[in-house]
Amino acid sequence: MTLRNETDSGARRARVEGRVGARRHALGAIATAAGAAVVTLALIVPALPAPDAGPIKIGVLVPLTGNFAAPGQQTLAGLKIYFDGIGNKAGGHPLELIVEDTQGNPEVAVTKTRKLVERDGVQVLTGIVSSAVALAVSDYSRTNQVPLVLSGDAATDELTMPGKLANPYLVRLTENSRTPSAVAADFAYKTKGWRTATVITSDYVAGVDLAFAFAQRFCQLGGKVTQAQYPPLDTGDYGPYLTNLDRTANAMVVFTPGAAGLKLGRQFAEFGLKGKLPELDLFGTLTYESYLPQLGDAALGAYSALIYTPYLNTALNKSFVAEFRKRTGNQATNEGPSGWTGAHAIADAIDAVKGDLSDKTKFMGALRTAKFDTPKGSISLDKDGMVVQSMYIREVQKVGAELGNVPIATYHDIGQYWPYSETEFQSFAHTYNDSKDKLTDCAWLLAKK
Amino acid sequence: MIWTIHILNGVAYGMLLFLIAAGLSLIYGLMKILNLTHGSFYLFGGYIGLTVMQKTGSFVLALLVAAVAIGLIGAAIERLFLRRFHLDELPQTLLTFGFLFIFSDLALWLWGGDPLMLDTPHFFERSVPLGEYAYPLYRLFLIAVGSVIAGGLWWFQEHTRLGTMLRAGVDDAEIARALGINVSVLFTLVFAAGAALASFGGVLAAPELSLYPGADFDTLILAFVVIIVGGLGSLRGALAGALLVGILDDLGKAFFPQFALFTVFVPMAVILVVRPTGLFGRR
Repeated sequence: MTLRNETDSGARRARVEGRVGARRHALGAIATAAGAAVVTLALIVPALPAPDAGPIKIGVLVPLTGNFAAPGQQTLAGLKIYFDGIGNKAGGHPLELIVEDTQGNPEVAVTKTRKLVERDGVQVLTGIVSSAVALAVSDYSRTNQVPLVLSGDAATDELTMPGKLANPYLVRLTENSRTPSAVAADFAYKTKGWRTATVITSDYVAGVDLAFAFAQRFCQLGGKVTQAQYPPLDTGDYGPYLTNLDRTANAMVVFTPGAAGLKLGRQFAEFGLKGKLPELDLFGTLTYESYLPQLGDAALGAYSALIYTPYLNTALNKSFVAEFRKRTGNQATNEGPSGWTGAHAIADAIDAVKGDLSDKTKFMGALRTAKFDTPKGSISLDKDGMVVQSMYIREVQKVGAELGNVPIATYHDIGQYWPYSETEFQSFAHTYNDSKDKLTDCAWLLAKK
Repeated sequence: MIWTIHILNGVAYGMLLFLIAAGLSLIYGLMKILNLTHGSFYLFGGYIGLTVMQKTGSFVLALLVAAVAIGLIGAAIERLFLRRFHLDELPQTLLTFGFLFIFSDLALWLWGGDPLMLDTPHFFERSVPLGEYAYPLYRLFLIAVGSVIAGGLWWFQEHTRLGTMLRAGVDDAEIARALGINVSVLFTLVFAAGAALASFGGVLAAPELSLYPGADFDTLILAFVVIIVGGLGSLRGALAGALLVGILDDLGKAFFPQFALFTVFVPMAVILVVRPTGLFGRR
C-alpha cells in the first residue's frame, strides 16, 4: 500500500463521518463538504510509486454507514488483515486500496463504482455486502469488463448461476443464500430428527429464497413445513406472529437479519417459547456475533448454519480471530474471513499474471483457479466462479464469559447447488420467486419440469 | 384465549404509540407546530436510557434521566428556534425536519449503526401463564404504565389550573393571552413535556422494539398515523387512535399476514374518508 493509504486512515474516518451526513438528505451537505475538504487534503499527499512498478489499485465497495455498517466494517477489516499480511504487494507491484462507502444503497454504489474505475483507475473491485448493491455493480462490471470479487456477503443465488445475471467478470468468495438453508434442512432432519417446522422469515427476496431452499430440501428428506410467516423487515412487535406460531412443530426456523433478529429473539424468549421450541437460524442472522451479547441468554441453544464460526480450531483461524479482535475489538463474523479470502484470491491472481491486469480474460482465469486454506476452511472455485467451501452448524453456547456460535457439525465441499447437481437443480419446476404461499405444499416444492 | 393475547398485544403496542403520539398531538393542538423532531426525541430518549441503564443498572433512573434530558432539549429547541417562526408553519416544519436529521446523524455517531436493545428490567423478565399460553409480564407492565400516564394527563388537563390554561390555549391562543395567560411559558412547558413523553416511550419501547438508526423515522410515521386517526390536538383522540392502531395492527398481522405491510395504513385511509378530522378531531 502506498503512503497515501497508510497515512489517510484518519482522513478516511473523517470522510466516513462526513458521509454519514449525506445519507438521505441535503442538510448533511455541510458535513460532507467538510469531509470532502479533508479528503482533498489527503489526496495532495503525494503517492510515491516507482515509475515502472506503479501501484495496482483495488476499489473496495463496502457499506460503512447505514443498516449494513457492521458487516461492511467486518469485510474491510478482513481484506486489510490479508493485504497487510503480505505487505500490500503482489505481482511485483504495491497494492493500493481505495475504500468507498456504498451506504448499502445501489444507486450510491454505482456512483462510487464509476468514481473508482473512471477517476481513480482501479483495476479490480471487491467488497459488497448487500445483494441489491451486488446486482447493480455486477451490471457495471459486466458492461465495462471490470473484474469484481465479491468478498462481503452478496448472497443472491443467480449471480453465479448460468442465466441472465451471470457475469464472466465476477467471482464470489462469500456464500449464496440457498446452501446454508439446504444444510440446515439436512441437519434438522437427519441429526435432530425433526419432521415438522414452522418458518418465520423476513419478507424480502433473501428471506423468501432461504425459506424456499429449506422447505424444498426438508420435504425431499421427508419433513414438512407446517406454517410459514413472513413479517415485514421493519416489524417492531412480533407478538402476533409468536402468538400464532404453530407450537406443535418440532422446531422454529428463522431468517431475520439485523434488528429484526434481535427483536424476534428477545420476544420469543419473553413469550415463554424458549425451551419449548428449538430455534434453527438459517443464515446466522439471529445469532449474528455482533448482536449476541445483547440477546444474552435468550440466544442460548439456538442452532444456525453458516460458512464460518470464530471457534474453528485451526491455527489459521485462531491467528485470524486474534488479529481481528486486536484491530477491531470485535468478534469476527462470517464477513471478516470472506474479506480475507477475497483479498487472498485477488493477490494470488495478480501474482499469476505478474501484475499485468490488462488482459482481463487471463486475469479472470487466474482468479477462478483460486484454491487455498482460509480461516473459514479450505476453498476452491467452481466453473461459474462460485466458491466451494465448508458449511458449519453452530450452537449458541457460553464460552467463558461470552456467548458464541460453537461448531457442532461440519459439511465439507458445499457447492452452490448442494445437495443437487446443476442439472438436477435446474430440473425443479418452481423457484423461490413465487413460493410464498406454497411453502407448506411439498408436492409443489418438489415438482419437476 | 388466543383472542385475549392478540388484544393484549395490541393494547401494549398501542400504549407505546400513545406515549409518542400524545406529545405530538398536544404540541400541534397548542402551537400548530408539526413537530417532526418528535421521532428524534423518541430515539434519543431510548439511547440515553440505554446508556444510563448500562452505567447504573437502574431502569427507573434510565426513564427519569432520559425524560429530563430530552425535556430540556425540547425546551431549548422551542425557546431558541421555533419561537422565531411563531405560527409560520412551513419554516417551523422545515426546522423540525432539519433537527430530525441532525439528531439522526448525532445518534449514529454516538451510538453507532448496530441495533441496540435495552435489557428488560429484571423483575419483568418473565412471563405469566395465560391458559395454555404464556404472556410477557413486561407487556402487562407497559399497559399499566400507559394507563397511569393517560389517566394522569387527563386529570391534569381537566382538574388543574395549568390544564385549564392549556385547553384555553388550544381553543384560542389569542383570547387566552388577552385573558392574562402566559402563553409563552405554556408553549415551552408543553413542548418540553411532549418531548419528555416521547423519550419515556423510547426507553419503555427499547427492550421490546430495539433502537437502531431509522427508528426515529419509523416511529414518527406511526405517531402521525395515530394522531390522524385520533384527531389532531386531542389527548382522548391520541389514546383512542393509539389503541385502535395497535389492536388493528396486531389483528391484521395475525389474520391477514399478506397485508402486514399496510395493516396500519388501511384503517387510517378508511377513517380519513369517513371522518376527515379523525375520531376526536374538531373543525
